Amino acid sequence: MKYIIIVVGLLYGFWIGVQNDMTKITGEETVQQVLDELGDTPSPNLPNRLLPGASVEIGESLVKFGKSQNLSGGNTMRQSRHFVCTSCHNVERESAYLNIEDPEERLAFTHEKGLPFVQGSPLFGIVNRTKFYNDDYEKKYGDLVDKARNNIREAIQLCAVECSQGRALKDWEIESVLMYLWTIGLTMNDLQWTEQELDLVDNALSDGKDRADAIAVIKSKYLDHAPATFGTPPSSYKEGMPDIKGDPANGKIIYEDGCLHCHAKNEYSHYRLDNESLTFKQLANRMKYYDERSMYHVSRYGTKPKFGKRAYMPQYTEEKMSDQQLEDLRAYVLEQADK
Amino acid sequence: MTKQIFVTFLLLAIFQYLNAQEFQKDAFNDRRVINSQSVEMLKKGKMDFRTYHRFGDLLGTSGGWQSFYGLENAADIGIGFDYGLNDHINFGIMRAKGAGELRQLVNGYFKARLMRQQVQGNNPLSITFVANSTISTMPKASTPNVLSSFPAFSNRLAYHLQIMFARRFNQRISLQASLNYTYRDLVYNYDQNDIPSIGLAGRIQLTKATALIFDGVFPVLVADRELPLQYQFPLGVGFEFETGGGHVFQINLTNARGLTETDYIPYTYSNWQDGEFRLGFTIGRQFTVHR
Repeated sequence: MKYIIIVVGLLYGFWIGVQNDMTKITGEETVQQVLDELGDTPSPNLPNRLLPGASVEIGESLVKFGKSQNLSGGNTMRQSRHFVCTSCHNVERESAYLNIEDPEERLAFTHEKGLPFVQGSPLFGIVNRTKFYNDDYEKKYGDLVDKARNNIREAIQLCAVECSQGRALKDWEIESVLMYLWTIGLTMNDLQWTEQELDLVDNALSDGKDRADAIAVIKSKYLDHAPATFGTPPSSYKEGMPDIKGDPANGKIIYEDGCLHCHAKNEYSHYRLDNESLTFKQLANRMKYYDERSMYHVSRYGTKPKFGKRAYMPQYTEEKMSDQQLEDLRAYVLEQADK
Repeated sequence: MTKQIFVTFLLLAIFQYLNAQEFQKDAFNDRRVINSQSVEMLKKGKMDFRTYHRFGDLLGTSGGWQSFYGLENAADIGIGFDYGLNDHINFGIMRAKGAGELRQLVNGYFKARLMRQQVQGNNPLSITFVANSTISTMPKASTPNVLSSFPAFSNRLAYHLQIMFARRFNQRISLQASLNYTYRDLVYNYDQNDIPSIGLAGRIQLTKATALIFDGVFPVLVADRELPLQYQFPLGVGFEFETGGGHVFQINLTNARGLTETDYIPYTYSNWQDGEFRLGFTIGRQFTVHR
């Protein structure tokens, strides 16, 4: 009798194992799980979960509040006195399509979701990327980007020290941040699929054929890096960009979701903005200056941290705010100033 | 009575939190109008480094060309720090030269916001309370019967309590009224220790960065004071501008010589009509200590 029980138990275990094999995509799987199953190169972004003190909760607290608890249970020193990660990065999805960078679509999407229109790439899905501080960021950070470009840990550290003007993160803090970022990594449901593409992935998972194609099609669904082009303001700040007519309605959204995110409550900047006519008159009057007083200048060049005033404004790349959007913002400011 | 006042303030503060709606923009750009405190608060984690300067009389017998319109004299000079424990509680300390009989003043204050004006809501006013204490650190005088003889240590102390009510009427006009109580531990026989007063202040915004400001303090119920000099109400007007980088510059004209409430409220004798007003400036620079 006991042999029968053992055999039934083994058969049941085998059946359970078969059931758990990933042979058909449900959509709930993470993209990384599917890539791993297809035999793709393991991601270097995976966290070291064995490091003492590292946890998802600590990572989330560091990202959202800039501090957490150390191994002895006490509060860590705040990572930065000026910013937290979410000052410039959303942790939510910012765009319906993950394989293109379209600032117009991004603005509409973030506005609909009630998210700020910020300069940084979203942290949502960032662990699925392989390259960081791309393209023109070399102009801003020089050699510092060399180590960070292909290494997410170095990228996080560069962001901590340079972008947020704070202290370097400890190893367990970086692993904690990674643990949290993996909780907002991409799932298969986050990507747009055709039936043929899903069949390709399903078949590759079930019979092992065309795995390279399946991996390629998955990776085509999202960008492995965020392109970064540092735009330039118009040659005449007074005249604006030739041949581009601004839309004040769109500019209102940019002003409220972008400018006011940092400037409304003195949270990140001493320079206060609001919706009063005196404010718009000042913005309009200052637009012509070829320095930090002009919205053109700060949008495209940002400001720099200074001794005694480390908080600064990062610029919007062309991928994050288009020239058209910049003119939309101008149109709204001028319209309000004229009232 | 004290307990009832405390409970009232506590209930007002709790009411403010429970009734959280969109708050009105600040009525004043700075936490001091000219000499008076304003209802405004320093934000959490911010430290403000403050420098105050009041020159000598611009005109009058000691002003004019001989003192280069007061610029060669200093009626009072102060330097200090304010700190925002949170958005509703501030502390501050300032060392001032002092312009009255007591000099070398160290002034500490505690400030708490009880109510904040809302854009649309039940709070039409901002209400802030401030408690101030000043100690004179000047050497004890060898001459008896002067204030600085300090028969007891407590004679070095003076206190000031103030509750302010302010409203920002629109983007250009803000007004503030305050009830003040100043107490000096040691005074002459012809004077009185406690001086209740009413304060008025206002701000007229000219552009986003510039504004005209004024303030005045008017002692009440002080008929028993028989001062050797004619007391004058401390009145000030000023022009302030904000650079946008955390700097607020203020240039003012005031007949008050002292900087702290315990100094200028009891001891202002300079008369505007005699040209005994002075140029002064205040510079504030905010730093982020923590978020």
